[in-house]
Amino acid sequence: MAKLRHLAIACKDPDAMADFYMKAFDFKNVRTSDGPLAYGHHLSDGTIDLAILRFKSDQIGKGMDYTGLHHFGILVENVDEAQKVVEALGGTHYLDTTAQGPGGFEIKMYGPEGVLFDVAEHPWTGAEALPAQVKEAAD
Amino acid sequence: MPKLRHIAIAAEDPEAMAEFYKKAFDFKEVGRPNGYLADGVFLSDGTLNMAILKFKTDQLGKGMDYRGLHHFGVLVEDVEEFEKKLESLGAEHYIDQGQDGHQAGYFEKKFYGPEKVLFDIAEHGWAGAEPLPAPMKDAAE
Repeated sequence: MAKLRHLAIACKDPDAMADFYMKAFDFKNVRTSDGPLAYGHHLSDGTIDLAILRFKSDQIGKGMDYTGLHHFGILVENVDEAQKVVEALGGTHYLDTTAQGPGGFEIKMYGPEGVLFDVAEHPWTGAEALPAQVKEAAD
Repeated sequence: MPKLRHIAIAAEDPEAMAEFYKKAFDFKEVGRPNGYLADGVFLSDGTLNMAILKFKTDQLGKGMDYRGLHHFGVLVEDVEEFEKKLESLGAEHYIDQGQDGHQAGYFEKKFYGPEKVLFDIAEHGWAGAEPLPAPMKDAAE
Protein backbone atom coordinates (compact mmCIF):
# COMPACT_ATOMS: atom_id res chain seq x y z
CA MET A 1 0.00 0.00 0.00
CA ALA A 2 1.15 3.55 -0.71
CA LYS A 3 2.04 5.62 2.35
CA LEU A 4 1.54 9.22 3.42
CA ARG A 5 5.09 10.34 4.13
CA HIS A 6 5.23 14.09 3.59
CA LEU A 7 3.30 17.11 4.79
CA ALA A 8 4.09 20.68 3.80
CA ILE A 9 3.08 23.86 5.61
CA ALA A 10 3.17 27.26 3.95
CA CYS A 11 4.38 30.00 6.27
CA LYS A 12 5.99 33.41 6.40
CA ASP A 13 8.77 32.51 8.83
CA PRO A 14 10.01 28.92 8.36
CA ASP A 15 12.87 29.41 10.84
CA ALA A 16 10.56 30.32 13.73
CA MET A 17 7.94 27.72 12.87
CA ALA A 18 10.48 24.91 12.55
CA ASP A 19 11.98 25.90 15.88
CA PHE A 20 8.54 25.67 17.49
CA TYR A 21 7.89 22.10 16.28
CA MET A 22 11.41 20.98 17.15
CA LYS A 23 10.99 22.26 20.70
CA ALA A 24 7.38 21.14 21.06
CA PHE A 25 7.64 17.60 19.71
CA ASP A 26 11.36 16.90 19.48
CA PHE A 27 11.14 16.64 15.69
CA LYS A 28 14.57 16.69 14.07
CA ASN A 29 15.70 19.13 11.42
CA VAL A 30 16.98 16.88 8.65
CA ARG A 31 17.44 19.39 5.86
CA THR A 32 17.23 23.06 5.01
CA SER A 33 16.41 23.75 1.39
CA ASP A 34 16.25 26.81 -0.82
CA GLY A 35 15.04 25.75 -4.23
CA PRO A 36 13.10 27.33 -7.06
CA LEU A 37 9.77 26.52 -5.41
CA ALA A 38 10.39 27.28 -1.75
CA TYR A 39 12.74 27.99 1.15
CA GLY A 40 12.44 26.18 4.42
CA HIS A 41 13.18 23.30 6.73
CA HIS A 42 12.39 19.61 6.64
CA LEU A 43 11.64 18.13 10.04
CA SER A 44 11.22 14.44 10.77
CA ASP A 45 9.39 12.45 13.42
CA GLY A 46 11.16 9.34 12.13
CA THR A 47 8.30 8.48 9.79
CA ILE A 48 7.03 11.64 8.12
CA ASP A 49 8.85 14.52 6.47
CA LEU A 50 7.26 17.75 7.74
CA ALA A 51 8.30 20.52 5.37
CA ILE A 52 7.91 24.04 6.71
CA LEU A 53 8.23 26.27 3.71
CA ARG A 54 7.98 29.78 2.40
CA PHE A 55 6.74 29.24 -1.14
CA LYS A 56 7.94 31.30 -4.08
CA SER A 57 4.89 30.76 -6.26
CA ASP A 58 1.18 30.25 -5.73
CA GLN A 59 0.79 26.53 -6.31
CA ILE A 60 -2.64 26.13 -4.77
CA GLY A 61 -4.44 29.20 -6.07
CA LYS A 62 -4.91 30.74 -2.64
CA GLY A 63 -2.54 33.65 -3.16
CA MET A 64 0.98 34.32 -2.00
CA ASP A 65 -0.26 35.43 1.42
CA TYR A 66 -1.74 32.01 2.18
CA THR A 67 -0.36 30.37 5.29
CA GLY A 68 -1.38 26.97 6.58
CA LEU A 69 -1.24 23.38 5.47
CA HIS A 70 -0.27 23.30 1.81
CA HIS A 71 0.11 19.79 0.39
CA PHE A 72 0.96 16.24 1.31
CA GLY A 73 3.07 13.55 -0.29
CA ILE A 74 2.46 9.89 -0.93
CA LEU A 75 5.25 7.38 -1.30
CA VAL A 76 4.46 4.84 -3.99
CA GLU A 77 6.22 1.88 -5.55
CA ASN A 78 6.00 3.23 -9.09
CA VAL A 79 5.46 6.90 -9.90
CA ASP A 80 4.52 6.38 -13.54
CA GLU A 81 1.93 3.82 -12.63
CA ALA A 82 0.53 6.03 -9.85
CA GLN A 83 0.31 8.98 -12.23
CA LYS A 84 -1.71 6.94 -14.70
CA VAL A 85 -4.09 5.78 -11.97
CA VAL A 86 -4.54 9.30 -10.61
CA GLU A 87 -5.18 10.72 -14.08
CA ALA A 88 -7.66 7.96 -14.87
CA LEU A 89 -9.54 8.99 -11.74
CA GLY A 90 -9.65 12.64 -12.82
CA GLY A 91 -6.52 13.96 -11.10
CA THR A 92 -4.37 16.38 -13.06
CA HIS A 93 -0.63 16.64 -13.36
CA TYR A 94 0.86 19.94 -12.19
CA LEU A 95 4.62 19.60 -12.47
CA ASP A 96 7.64 17.43 -11.86
CA THR A 97 10.30 18.60 -9.45
CA THR A 98 13.83 17.56 -8.75
CA ALA A 99 14.71 19.01 -5.39
CA GLN A 100 18.16 19.03 -3.88
CA GLY A 101 19.15 16.01 -1.88
CA PRO A 102 18.16 12.36 -1.94
CA GLY A 103 14.73 11.27 -3.01
CA GLY A 104 14.09 14.65 -4.54
CA PHE A 105 12.10 13.62 -7.59
CA GLU A 106 8.38 13.89 -7.27
CA ILE A 107 5.33 14.51 -9.36
CA LYS A 108 2.86 17.10 -8.17
CA MET A 109 -0.78 16.46 -8.91
CA TYR A 110 -4.14 18.01 -8.17
CA GLY A 111 -6.82 15.71 -6.82
CA PRO A 112 -10.50 16.39 -6.17
CA GLU A 113 -11.38 19.97 -5.20
CA GLY A 114 -7.92 21.15 -6.26
CA VAL A 115 -6.07 19.53 -3.36
CA LEU A 116 -2.38 19.36 -4.23
CA PHE A 117 -0.31 16.28 -3.46
CA ASP A 118 3.01 14.78 -4.48
CA VAL A 119 3.80 11.22 -5.43
CA ALA A 120 7.35 9.91 -5.19
CA GLU A 121 9.16 6.58 -5.25
CA HIS A 122 12.01 7.63 -3.00
CA PRO A 123 11.27 8.71 0.56
CA TRP A 124 11.48 12.40 1.35
CA THR A 125 14.36 13.31 3.64
CA GLY A 126 13.72 11.85 7.07
CA ALA A 127 10.72 9.84 5.91
CA GLU A 128 10.40 6.11 6.43
CA ALA A 129 10.62 3.91 3.35
CA LEU A 130 7.75 1.73 2.21
CA PRO A 131 7.59 -1.54 4.15
CA ALA A 132 8.64 -3.46 1.02
CA GLN A 133 11.66 -1.19 0.59
CA VAL A 134 12.68 -1.70 4.22
CA LYS A 135 12.40 -5.47 3.81
CA GLU A 136 14.41 -5.35 0.58
CA ALA A 137 17.16 -3.31 2.25
CA ALA A 138 17.32 -5.77 5.14
CA ASP A 139 17.55 -8.83 2.86
CA MET B 1 9.19 10.97 20.13
CA PRO B 2 5.66 12.13 19.29
CA LYS B 3 4.43 11.08 15.88
CA LEU B 4 2.41 12.74 13.14
CA ARG B 5 -0.53 10.40 12.80
CA HIS B 6 -3.43 12.45 11.40
CA ILE B 7 -4.10 14.88 8.60
CA ALA B 8 -7.45 16.45 7.86
CA ILE B 9 -8.71 17.85 4.58
CA ALA B 10 -11.63 20.23 4.29
CA ALA B 11 -13.85 19.03 1.45
CA GLU B 12 -17.17 19.99 -0.07
CA ASP B 13 -17.85 16.36 -0.94
CA PRO B 14 -15.98 14.05 1.47
CA GLU B 15 -17.59 10.96 -0.04
CA ALA B 16 -16.26 11.63 -3.54
CA MET B 17 -12.85 12.69 -2.29
CA ALA B 18 -12.51 9.59 -0.12
CA GLU B 19 -13.42 7.38 -3.08
CA PHE B 20 -10.64 9.01 -5.06
CA TYR B 21 -7.94 8.26 -2.46
CA LYS B 22 -9.24 4.76 -1.85
CA LYS B 23 -9.06 3.95 -5.55
CA ALA B 24 -5.84 5.83 -6.27
CA PHE B 25 -3.73 4.63 -3.34
CA ASP B 26 -5.63 1.72 -1.82
CA PHE B 27 -6.24 3.62 1.41
CA LYS B 28 -8.80 1.85 3.58
CA GLU B 29 -11.96 3.37 4.99
CA VAL B 30 -11.85 3.04 8.77
CA GLY B 31 -14.64 5.29 9.99
CA ARG B 32 -17.43 7.76 9.37
CA PRO B 33 -17.10 10.56 11.88
CA ASN B 34 -20.22 12.56 12.56
CA GLY B 35 -19.47 15.11 15.22
CA TYR B 36 -20.34 18.64 16.12
CA LEU B 37 -17.29 19.95 14.29
CA ALA B 38 -17.43 17.93 11.08
CA ASP B 39 -18.79 14.95 9.15
CA GLY B 40 -16.85 12.83 6.71
CA VAL B 41 -14.75 9.78 6.10
CA PHE B 42 -11.67 8.45 7.88
CA LEU B 43 -9.12 6.70 5.68
CA SER B 44 -5.94 4.92 6.71
CA ASP B 45 -2.71 3.99 4.97
CA GLY B 46 -1.89 1.72 7.91
CA THR B 47 0.14 4.42 9.65
CA LEU B 48 -1.78 7.68 9.44
CA ASN B 49 -5.42 8.60 9.72
CA MET B 50 -6.48 10.78 6.80
CA ALA B 51 -9.72 12.56 7.66
CA ILE B 52 -11.71 13.95 4.77
CA LEU B 53 -14.22 16.24 6.35
CA LYS B 54 -16.97 18.73 5.73
CA PHE B 55 -16.52 21.18 8.55
CA LYS B 56 -19.43 22.79 10.33
CA THR B 57 -17.55 25.78 11.71
CA ASP B 58 -14.74 28.02 10.47
CA GLN B 59 -11.87 26.79 12.63
CA LEU B 60 -9.14 28.37 10.54
CA GLY B 61 -10.55 31.83 10.01
CA LYS B 62 -10.42 31.25 6.27
CA GLY B 63 -14.18 31.11 5.77
CA MET B 64 -16.64 28.27 5.37
CA ASP B 65 -15.76 28.00 1.69
CA TYR B 66 -12.19 27.00 2.45
CA ARG B 67 -11.17 23.74 0.75
CA GLY B 68 -7.82 22.04 1.14
CA LEU B 69 -5.56 20.74 3.87
CA HIS B 70 -6.95 21.82 7.19
CA HIS B 71 -4.96 20.54 10.17
CA PHE B 72 -2.75 17.73 11.37
CA GLY B 73 -2.54 15.64 14.51
CA VAL B 74 0.35 14.53 16.67
CA LEU B 75 0.19 11.44 18.85
CA VAL B 76 1.87 12.07 22.21
CA GLU B 77 2.49 10.07 25.36
CA ASP B 78 0.80 12.52 27.72
CA VAL B 79 -1.66 15.16 26.54
CA GLU B 80 -1.59 17.19 29.76
CA GLU B 81 2.18 17.39 29.74
CA PHE B 82 2.23 18.48 26.12
CA GLU B 83 -0.50 21.03 26.67
CA LYS B 84 1.71 22.76 29.23
CA LYS B 85 4.70 22.58 26.94
CA LEU B 86 2.82 23.94 23.94
CA GLU B 87 1.39 26.84 25.90
CA SER B 88 4.84 27.68 27.25
CA LEU B 89 6.01 27.91 23.65
CA GLY B 90 3.21 30.32 22.77
CA ALA B 91 0.62 27.95 21.30
CA GLU B 92 -3.00 28.81 21.95
CA HIS B 93 -5.48 26.19 23.13
CA TYR B 94 -8.57 26.17 20.93
CA ILE B 95 -10.89 23.36 21.97
CA ASP B 96 -11.06 19.84 23.35
CA GLN B 97 -12.91 17.26 21.34
CA GLY B 98 -14.09 13.81 22.32
CA GLN B 99 -15.37 14.43 25.80
CA ASP B 100 -18.95 13.90 26.86
CA GLY B 101 -19.45 10.97 24.56
CA HIS B 102 -18.65 12.81 21.36
CA GLN B 103 -16.40 10.89 18.99
CA ALA B 104 -16.19 8.01 21.46
CA GLY B 105 -12.87 6.26 21.43
CA TYR B 106 -10.61 9.21 21.27
CA PHE B 107 -9.91 12.53 22.86
CA GLU B 108 -7.86 15.33 21.41
CA LYS B 109 -6.92 18.88 22.17
CA LYS B 110 -6.71 21.43 19.40
CA PHE B 111 -4.12 24.18 19.38
CA TYR B 112 -3.07 27.04 17.20
CA GLY B 113 0.68 27.10 16.66
CA PRO B 114 2.77 29.76 14.94
CA GLU B 115 0.96 31.65 12.19
CA LYS B 116 -2.34 30.19 13.44
CA VAL B 117 -1.68 26.73 12.03
CA LEU B 118 -4.15 24.37 13.69
CA PHE B 119 -3.08 20.99 15.04
CA ASP B 120 -4.37 18.35 17.43
CA ILE B 121 -2.61 16.34 20.08
CA ALA B 122 -3.96 13.03 21.35
CA GLU B 123 -2.81 10.10 23.47
CA HIS B 124 -5.08 7.56 21.83
CA GLY B 125 -4.57 7.23 18.14
CA TRP B 126 -7.06 8.32 15.54
CA ALA B 127 -8.91 5.51 13.77
CA GLY B 128 -6.52 3.52 11.61
CA ALA B 129 -3.42 5.27 12.93
CA GLU B 130 -0.45 3.31 14.16
CA PRO B 131 0.24 3.60 17.90
CA LEU B 132 3.46 5.07 19.23
CA PRO B 133 6.36 2.61 19.06
CA ALA B 134 6.11 0.17 21.96
CA PRO B 135 9.41 0.94 23.74
CA MET B 136 8.49 4.62 24.01
CA LYS B 137 5.01 3.80 25.19
CA ASP B 138 6.28 1.32 27.77
CA ALA B 139 8.86 3.77 29.04
CA ALA B 140 6.15 6.36 29.52
CA GLU B 141 3.98 4.00 31.58
